[in-house]
Amino acid sequence: MTTFQTPSDARIVDLRARFRWATDEQSFAGRIDWVLVGLAALCSAFGALMVFSATRFNLQRANLSETYYLQRQLIMLGLGIIACVVCTLVDYRRLLSFAPLLYIGSCIALLAVRFVGAATGGTTAWFQVGPLQFQPSEFAKVAFAICLAAYVANQRGPFTAQRLTSLLVLASVPIGLVYLQGDLGTSLVFVAMLLAVVLVSGAKARHIGALFAAAAILAVAAISLGVLKDYQIARLTVFATQTDKGIGDTAKLTDDAYNLAQSKKAIGSGGILGKGLFEGPLTNLSYVPVQKSDFIFSAVGEQLGFVGSAGLILALGALMWRIWRISLRARDHAGLLLCVALLAMILFQTFQNIGMTIGIMPITGIPLPFVSYGGTALVACWCAIGLVLNVGARRKV
Amino acid sequence: MSRQLDSETVAPARLGVFGVIIVALLCALLVRLWYIQGVSPETFVVAAEANAQRTIFTEPPRGRIYDRNGVLLVDNRVIQVLTVDRATARKEPDLVTRLATVLDTPVDKVKSAIEDPRQSPLQPAVIAEDVSLDKITYIREHAGLFPAVDYAQGTERIYAQPGIAAHVLGYVAQINGEDLAEKEALGYRAGDVIGKTGVERAYESVLRGTPGRTVLEVDKRNRVVRVVSEEPPKAGADLYLTIDINLQRAAELALANGVMTARATYDSDNKKNFVAPAGAAVALDPRDGAVMALASYPTYDPAVFVGGISNADFAALQSNGAPLNNRATQGLYAPGSTFKPITAIAAINDGVIAPSTSIRDTGTYVVQGKCTGDCDYDNAGKTAHGVVNLTSALTVSSNVYFYALGDDFYQRRSQLGDGIQDTARQFGLAETSGIETAEATGRVSDEASRKALHEKNPVAFPESRWFVGDNIQMAVGQSETVATPLQIANVYSTVANGGSLYTPHFGLRAVSPEGVEVFKYQPTVKRTVEMGPATRQAIVEGLAGAVNAPSGTAFSAFAGSGLADAGWLTAGKTGTAQGLRKQDTSLFTGFAPINDPKLVVSVVVEEAGYGGAIAAPTARQIFQAAAGISPTPIRTSVVLD
Repeated sequence: MTTFQTPSDARIVDLRARFRWATDEQSFAGRIDWVLVGLAALCSAFGALMVFSATRFNLQRANLSETYYLQRQLIMLGLGIIACVVCTLVDYRRLLSFAPLLYIGSCIALLAVRFVGAATGGTTAWFQVGPLQFQPSEFAKVAFAICLAAYVANQRGPFTAQRLTSLLVLASVPIGLVYLQGDLGTSLVFVAMLLAVVLVSGAKARHIGALFAAAAILAVAAISLGVLKDYQIARLTVFATQTDKGIGDTAKLTDDAYNLAQSKKAIGSGGILGKGLFEGPLTNLSYVPVQKSDFIFSAVGEQLGFVGSAGLILALGALMWRIWRISLRARDHAGLLLCVALLAMILFQTFQNIGMTIGIMPITGIPLPFVSYGGTALVACWCAIGLVLNVGARRKV
Repeated sequence: MSRQLDSETVAPARLGVFGVIIVALLCALLVRLWYIQGVSPETFVVAAEANAQRTIFTEPPRGRIYDRNGVLLVDNRVIQVLTVDRATARKEPDLVTRLATVLDTPVDKVKSAIEDPRQSPLQPAVIAEDVSLDKITYIREHAGLFPAVDYAQGTERIYAQPGIAAHVLGYVAQINGEDLAEKEALGYRAGDVIGKTGVERAYESVLRGTPGRTVLEVDKRNRVVRVVSEEPPKAGADLYLTIDINLQRAAELALANGVMTARATYDSDNKKNFVAPAGAAVALDPRDGAVMALASYPTYDPAVFVGGISNADFAALQSNGAPLNNRATQGLYAPGSTFKPITAIAAINDGVIAPSTSIRDTGTYVVQGKCTGDCDYDNAGKTAHGVVNLTSALTVSSNVYFYALGDDFYQRRSQLGDGIQDTARQFGLAETSGIETAEATGRVSDEASRKALHEKNPVAFPESRWFVGDNIQMAVGQSETVATPLQIANVYSTVANGGSLYTPHFGLRAVSPEGVEVFKYQPTVKRTVEMGPATRQAIVEGLAGAVNAPSGTAFSAFAGSGLADAGWLTAGKTGTAQGLRKQDTSLFTGFAPINDPKLVVSVVVEEAGYGGAIAAPTARQIFQAAAGISPTPIRTSVVLD
């Protein structure tokens, strides 16, 4: 940027320069969607605060530093922002050309975690590296978005059944590998991304219909052939069978039903304004399971009430709107599809995670984007933001 | 890039569809969230609080019980309660063994105390109550051997007058399932102590106090996180009884004397000593119905219930003469001749006789008019009393006089109805007296009660009809009329005070720990019985003669008592009730002083012979105690009824 000697001129030009970065012909930094960055930062900061509120009491009681989880989450946020910058700077079109490599690499990582990974609760999804846990499936989601965009955009002509089939075959490998980890939820995120890309890239109604029919048949087959384990079926059905009345008596509930009941109680008892930050007894007393990660939304609901939790949903909605807006203005079809896939990832995770805590979706172990405790997921989300900013910064002039 | 591909051409439109899907899903979340948090949060708030809060209760010390003069009868004693943390005890079986050794109890008993489901899981388990100080000291000195063992203080009943007034006081014990179901709403919980009988039960609400209430916040594993609120227990109110403990002690002693004397007396009719298994004595204040003393023999020590009673001990208390029964209020006895004033008042009120009406008593009464079967009724020993009026008939206990009245009432029943029975019911027979503790109702024998008995048990009561002979027997307190000693006492109390039937009572007042009077008894006249002054005069004179005239049936029992000199000139009536295949029941009821009645005493001793022989001297000892005279011995000279 040029500097000017005359104070009055300098002020005018400087102001113009400041506003110019919002217009099309401006510098790279000017074409960054700072609103999206701000929303992602807001959600992340809010999430860190919620993780702190959900963990401090128990840490205090255990005579540990009450900021233990907060610190870890903030460190991962820093790493995420660095990853975001990297993802923004490297031209996404170059990244797309690495799609085959990313595809093979993430499939190998997903396969490897099955053999050398650490197991928790029926799921083998982590690499344990010293004190750090690394979850390849989180990065695989981002890689999957790149691969989807690259593969679909590369094909010419109208959307045909043949194209759909080849796409399904390719997609089924990572989806299957994630499913085999026992992580049904994350494999459903892949499916949602695939569906969104298929929808936006012009699949005919019958293709989408066929996809849903295939999904339904698969689901029925999975249940009747015993592919789904009992705990998975129990998790998937408890939300539908549990009524809101009579959740006071938790003595006879299964683990999943208990979790759901406690989560609904925590959120419902928050009311309109909530019990106040750090004032949630159910949050403080670890009534809600895996609260800092999967059930973080219950901490929001109990402490900040409808105002806080609806506010979070609106903030995530605004973030999605910014991604949607960028996809609409993408320079090319590949950029558009990349944004759509990432948008589908964030949308599905948000809907699935919050829906689970309030009893309208099955229980799966999917984190709430930007908010849940979990380093890999947070970094992956910021990678996604970086890629979207990347597409946005290189939009049509 | 150009937009030549179908896929790319449709993309913006499809993005619009995608946008709609996003908005729809987010709206679904918001709607459901509003439903949970905005529309029906109460459901969740209540459930959430139930989740995280637990309430524990601390039993308050019960109120103390005093007699009417403020003499302490029942107090509380602070006891050392030994507790142990459950988790530690479960982990360390050696600790349980050591505790069992120190406490000198079986290991299993300690274990079952630790796992007793009645105890709150939020508090350390109580493993022993009332632990002696040397054991506590030992455990304290070896704290290393007894980790997680602690002491707490509790209270339990202690009886300041050991073994006295057991039937008045009653006992306390752990609440049973039946009471718990009934009283759960009042805040009772399993393991709580509750009054089981006597005034402990009747005045439970006054004595109990308010349990302490501590609300704890607990985490998912039921570990206590903090105390949300704490209300200390509030001790129960102190209760003052109408009982005079000195008179009570005298009554119990006199009754026991009477029973023992009877047992030492030979019954020539049955060719063996009197059995005298049981008896009862009641002393009432005829001016307000206050129970001054109440004794039932055999008795028990309520202290045996403190700290729990074994099943075997409890079973023993229910057999062996059933000492838990309060015979003064629950025992039913034929009143015998003590019933006669009722017959007399009925006859005068109904115009059958005047107070001065005389008849010739030849020793045998022959039914007037039509009679089949048993038509002759004799005095005891067929004694001929000559010309008797109402007063002398009461004094010498002329059955013939009252047989005639029973006959008259029967002959004129279309005109007078059941005049005697109606009067008996006016005097409170065949109905509960209204005293605070458990009592029996009794029965006045008439055509209807005969029929009811027959229908209920045709073998024991083969006859369902009511004959003239029944009415004649009924008029002298035989037939099937039964009453409690308290009811009989209340009849005489009504005669003594000129016609007021009071509701007898034990409770005088109750004072809260802050000194506020929370309860005060107001004497209640249940009914006024019609009794003209001349009627009362004739009857009282007859009763005075029975005690004080040489021809009186209780004369020898009261001779040399010193009561007259002490200003306690007594009036009364003996009764000797015949039972089936049993020795005679000995009864006496009387009041004193005659001119200003302050005390009514009713004594019944089962299977003890003549009323004048046992019951009358027993009552005399009670009057002597009331008058401040040392009781003279109960003699065993034969007295005719």
